[in-house]
Amino acid sequence: MRPVIEVQGVHRIYETEAGYTHALRSVSLTVRRGEFLAIMGPSGSGKSTLMNILGCLDTPTAGTYRLEGLEVSSLDDDDLAEIRATRLGFVFQSFNLLPRATVLRNVMLPLVYSDVPAAEREMRAWKALTSVDLPEEYYEHKSNELSGGQMQRVAIARALVNDPALILADEPTGNLDTATGEMVLQTFARMKRRGKTIVLITHDADVASWADRVVHIRDGRLLTDEQERAYIARAERKGADA
Amino acid sequence: MKATDLFRETGSALDSNRGRSLLTVLGIVIGIAAVIAMTALIDGIKYALVGQLGLNRARLVYIQCWTPYGSVSTADLDRWQQALPDYEYLTGASYGWGDMTAGTRSSSGQIMGTYPEFFDAMGIKLVEGRIYTDREVDRGSLVIVIDETIAKTLFGEGGAYVGRTVKIGSNEYSVIGVTEASGMTSNSSYMPFTTLNTRVNGYESMDQILGYARDGVDADALAEQTTAYLTSTYDIDEEQGNGYVYVYTMASITRQLDSTMMSFQLLMTSVASISLVVGGIGIMNMMLTNVTERIREIGLRKALGARSSDITKQFLLESVTLCIAGGIIGILAGYGGAWALAGAASNFAGIEGVAPIITANSVMLATGICVGIGIIFGYYPARRAAKLDPVESLRYQ
Ligand SMILES: Nc1ncnc2c1ncn2[C@@H]1O[C@H](COP(=O)(O)OP(=O)(O)O)[C@@H](O)[C@H]1O
Ligand SMILES: [Mg+2]
Repeated sequence: MRPVIEVQGVHRIYETEAGYTHALRSVSLTVRRGEFLAIMGPSGSGKSTLMNILGCLDTPTAGTYRLEGLEVSSLDDDDLAEIRATRLGFVFQSFNLLPRATVLRNVMLPLVYSDVPAAEREMRAWKALTSVDLPEEYYEHKSNELSGGQMQRVAIARALVNDPALILADEPTGNLDTATGEMVLQTFARMKRRGKTIVLITHDADVASWADRVVHIRDGRLLTDEQERAYIARAERKGADA
Repeated sequence: MKATDLFRETGSALDSNRGRSLLTVLGIVIGIAAVIAMTALIDGIKYALVGQLGLNRARLVYIQCWTPYGSVSTADLDRWQQALPDYEYLTGASYGWGDMTAGTRSSSGQIMGTYPEFFDAMGIKLVEGRIYTDREVDRGSLVIVIDETIAKTLFGEGGAYVGRTVKIGSNEYSVIGVTEASGMTSNSSYMPFTTLNTRVNGYESMDQILGYARDGVDADALAEQTTAYLTSTYDIDEEQGNGYVYVYTMASITRQLDSTMMSFQLLMTSVASISLVVGGIGIMNMMLTNVTERIREIGLRKALGARSSDITKQFLLESVTLCIAGGIIGILAGYGGAWALAGAASNFAGIEGVAPIITANSVMLATGICVGIGIIFGYYPARRAAKLDPVESLRYQ
């Protein structure tokens, strides 16, 4: 079966007034269907840049990205929007729910852009909300009346509602305390068991340990576990020398 | 994105900004109110002039003619009719004045002596009884048609006026019909042309001549033709003091009024345009604030699959909806304002009973203006929203 993600030699260079920032350097990555991958790295290492490219919100400066076999780096804005509407689900660190809208309406929002018939939407939203274990009594609440953990589960339901090929989560537990974060991670683990493909970005090793596989990113380069261990060993040696 | 979704998203967005939205549309409200007040008054004035039988009135030609040989007679009219076959008929009328009494009550006012055609030409409607016949005119019968106002003054409320008797001078006239009293024709009574001349006035005169153009004939052209005919037939030369002829149509009166109404129209149009531009800028300003406040929401919508055109449409629809909401308030305010100004408009146009009229056209005009302003002033903010980069927008604090 085709991998969900095939990234080959991707570079992303930002042009700023201060000059060029090489945020991703020759990144290659393959994610199989049903895999739960964590991308781990310190702040400024290029995690969000990679996530934006994987999420079709940004395109690489060089290299190729195939999503379910479809080459997306050459598509125009409207085609990218359609891919986001139908094949991708996002979970953000800061939840990004519409505060004055109800939980149900928040979860149904992506369906507006993927042309799902109105009659079908509420049922889909219910299914998604049930799968993240949010009690039914909250469905008609305004989203800003919920706790952080509940908000993030609503956001996961929103990411699931279109039954996307890939769920992307950028620091989904970053704004939550450890216990609540754990609940959210359990939700991801359950999604994985149901066959969802998940890419989770974090700087926290405990969070990364929930994934099947971890890749590390440093200064825009992806490292395998061994390369990462070697990198840390080198850093520690340098620290001891100094 | 479907239209119903677009409306739902717009509804909830505006709902959450209700207070600010209302303030913002004030300029639109004033502008549309001015437009509506203006058109409602102008339409009201025209309606009062032309009457419900506007079509009939448009076919009327008013003729004032004094020949060097004296007043025009009924026999003259027959000759005119033959020379000018475009008239369905020509009918003369004369004015008289008298005190009418019935028992102890009395009423004084203008009495018109006419032929039966006069009622049709002027669009005067009966509420009771009938009008006099040609025979009654020939015979100079002692019959009278009065309007409701006079009937009530003389006989009190309650109707059944036909068959009663009124006294004018030494003669008693029997009431054969009652007409609707409205605007211009209030306080009028009518009797056969010959009766008025012989019994009330005591001399023969024809003070007004009405021509009724055949269907499809251009009344203005016919009026010109009539002037030419009368001038040559009677050798009229006004400058030499040899009689005069003055022929006009309802259309020419309306045109004259139109030109005097221009100043009023100009004033209202400038008030309207200034308010609408100010209102439009207000809308633009509010929409720009709106876009800035909702940058993260825009980023989120894009991440969830909204195309740039979806965002453009959403914000455009918001500004158009705002403008239309302002327009609806403006239409109501304008209609109220028109009533407040109706008295002044009556004086201005020299006619009684001007009632403002809101037509489907003026409502469509107002709605069109609102949609136009919403699009023109909403376009820039909407494009700005649509062009936002999703990554930047999602990071925006
Ligand atoms: N829009 C941008 N313009 C210029 N530089 C950027 C932009 N976004 C990110 N960067 C730079 O690229 C590098 C990687 O950033 P980012 O992907 O946000 O890292 P992380 O998410 O791992 O903290 C950083 O040096 C950052 O300053
Ligand atoms: Mg980041």
